[in-house]
Amino acid sequence: MTRREWIALISAAPLVKLSAAAAGAPAAPVAIAKCSTYDEDVTAHLGTMFDQLGGLEKLVRNKTVTVKINMTGSPGTRFQGRAPALTHYVHPKLIGSAAYLMGRAGAKRIRFVESSWASAGPLEDAMLDSGWNVRQLLSAAAGVEFENTNALGKGKRYARFKVPGSPYMYPAYDLNHAYEETDVFVSFAKLKNHATCGVTLSLKNCFGILPASIYGDSAGADEPNESPVDGRLRVGHEGKRQPSKSAPQELHFGANHDPGYRVPHIVADLSAARPIDLAIIDGVETIAGGEGPWIQGLRLAKPGVLLAGLNPVCTDAVSMAVMGYSPRATRGTAPFQTCDNTLLLSEGHGVGTTDVSRIDVRGVSIEKAVYRFDSHA
Amino acid sequence: MRAVFGLGWMCLLPLAAAVPAPDAWVPVRWPWAEARSLDLLESSPVNCLLLKSWTPELIAAAQKRGVVPLAVIAPGSDAVATAKQALSASVGGLVLEGDFADETTTAIRQAAGSAVVIELTARNRMALGSAAPILGTYQGLWPGISDEHANAHSAGPSGSTWIDTNTGFLRAARVWGTSTVWIANQPPAHTVITTSRYLQAIADAAMSGARWVLALDTDFSSRLAQRDADAVASWRRISALLSYYESHPEWRALREYGKLAVIQDPAKGGLVSGGILDMIAVKHTPVIPVPRQRLGPGALDGATMAVNIDADSLTPEQKEILRNFTRSGGALLTGPPGWKDSTPPGERITLDKAELDRLNDIWRDVNSMIGRRNLGVRLFNVSSMLSNVMASADEKTEIVQLVNYSDYPVENVTVHFLGSYKRATLLTPEGAEKKLDIYSTEEGSGVDIDKVGVCATIRLEP
Repeated sequence: MTRREWIALISAAPLVKLSAAAAGAPAAPVAIAKCSTYDEDVTAHLGTMFDQLGGLEKLVRNKTVTVKINMTGSPGTRFQGRAPALTHYVHPKLIGSAAYLMGRAGAKRIRFVESSWASAGPLEDAMLDSGWNVRQLLSAAAGVEFENTNALGKGKRYARFKVPGSPYMYPAYDLNHAYEETDVFVSFAKLKNHATCGVTLSLKNCFGILPASIYGDSAGADEPNESPVDGRLRVGHEGKRQPSKSAPQELHFGANHDPGYRVPHIVADLSAARPIDLAIIDGVETIAGGEGPWIQGLRLAKPGVLLAGLNPVCTDAVSMAVMGYSPRATRGTAPFQTCDNTLLLSEGHGVGTTDVSRIDVRGVSIEKAVYRFDSHA
Repeated sequence: MRAVFGLGWMCLLPLAAAVPAPDAWVPVRWPWAEARSLDLLESSPVNCLLLKSWTPELIAAAQKRGVVPLAVIAPGSDAVATAKQALSASVGGLVLEGDFADETTTAIRQAAGSAVVIELTARNRMALGSAAPILGTYQGLWPGISDEHANAHSAGPSGSTWIDTNTGFLRAARVWGTSTVWIANQPPAHTVITTSRYLQAIADAAMSGARWVLALDTDFSSRLAQRDADAVASWRRISALLSYYESHPEWRALREYGKLAVIQDPAKGGLVSGGILDMIAVKHTPVIPVPRQRLGPGALDGATMAVNIDADSLTPEQKEILRNFTRSGGALLTGPPGWKDSTPPGERITLDKAELDRLNDIWRDVNSMIGRRNLGVRLFNVSSMLSNVMASADEKTEIVQLVNYSDYPVENVTVHFLGSYKRATLLTPEGAEKKLDIYSTEEGSGVDIDKVGVCATIRLEP
């Protein structure tokens, strides 16, 4: 893609009327690195990118860092029999490298979290079931921990996160304690499409911080069910039931059952309620056409790229540009043919800007990193 | 001079090779009648031919090689006559395949005298617990990742892999005694069968201590008859896998190991495929099948959990055994009152949707009781695999068999086992034995395996 073509692409987006919050949404630098395989020195790549963002040390020294990783769906569900990290999960080598670099930068505790599919069991089990070497991850740095945030986990109570300003869907969300007991929150996501939200990047990755014990189909009506056995379809996607009454209820329950509306709005709420301090996106090897093997028309993709940024909206905006999409595209335009644009909704909450021209891209340029997801069929 | 000639003559004599005992027979349905077809057995452990038609030339050539030719007799009015004809042709034994009238079987056995007669019956007609050296059935599933589930597009994020397997049935049959169990199902018709699928079929039976009666599809056998290079290469891979399992006869002497026992009547669903035993197998939970008829003192020794599928069938003595089991701390799950396991009617060996739905009533409770507990061994990253855990009589040596049903090797498999072992060895058909590093886990010990092709075996020793 030439620079002219790329400018034409991002300029082709319909004009979006920005709210006051969106207009003043902050911008932060985003770093891009080319990395064609996981056999490269991914630690060096990530280290360079963190340096380009101003260095990890000032972000994590003597801090508790919580890293939400993307392990969507059951580890047993594979695309073409491949390891999940080569398709729809973040790669454990990157996780280990990030832990090492955070440890070296002085992080006091590095807690990797994910709400494992339909389970409240140890996150380590899901990692082992994905073919990850948990012992290696533990040894990557001092103070590495794991927690499955699909229920109470190691905590004694849920932490409540209020959505500042005007929430879209819920006034507040009840989450696992790990999201509160942290100084730094990192979203470590995969560069891929999403059937319901258009793209899965650092923002959408955080839909997975919702505990299924409260927001799952098998959540208790009054109190959380600490043994959830399924996903969040009826509460989150479809709005056919409320979360457990112990948690704040949906503001306009019954008003909208369209997953393409609901999920992006919930994700945008979450991005405001539980701010992301660092976004890292694994686009080395991935999939296009959806978020996991259960989506029809999926295909393998090798963008060979890593992205990182201090603002999730900015990072996702640059990531979308790398994927060949306009980050300001509205419903009806690829990749948001049937859904709202989560990035714009987060921007509406004042989380960050989607205006790529305001974002300082460091390392490799967008033009040189572009891998058009809709063209690699 | 005469002596020299005599020696030369002796050298030309067909030396009769030693005939293996029935428990060492490695069977194949042999589709060819020409003696030269036996050249394929060079470097193959196959030593037993099931012949639907036979010639004196083929029988003599087989016996010369120490290969046992068995005549396959089908049910029908001429079955006894056909059996007698085969016996007069000096076959090494008879295989009665199908469901024969009792009087026909008796007549054939009488005609056979001391010759071995193997019955390949419907599963529900197997003479479980008999003294037969070989128990067999012609009914089996074609093992592999279920077509219904293979298309992951139809599933949601939960879509776990379902593997069609005969392992549950084979374990349930094998537990009755010391008979060698043969499963003699044939490849599905009008289907392209890859080499991998043959390997999976062999391993599916072998990991449970049974043997699949090798059966080649018509396309493969015709290509093999022409010595097509690809077909010959496939045959060599098949032979190599058979050799792998046959080079460890000690594995067949091991018994199922685990802390979970399932009490089930073979006449009431205990011999189906896709039933409770296979559901547990997909969870990689080691399980010991206990036939309801064999639920006596000591049957639950070593178990910490038991599932009693059909509570209404138990005798008062058996109910007392279960009460004692729970009194001593065992967890017992009993089917709901009035719940009965069922055997599918007719030739069916799997459950239909209604039966599966009914089974799910108890499966939910079983699944909940098992959870992610380590009931002998826990395996990770094995969604395309099935496993079996067996142990020596003193339970000091443990074997974990792994079979991969996908077309891709699986990397980074983790195994956590109870207790501590000093030595862990990885055995694979591809290479030499490899010592595995053992590390401590919360439950006991663990080992990691880099890669599993079609199958692998972990041997744990004190």
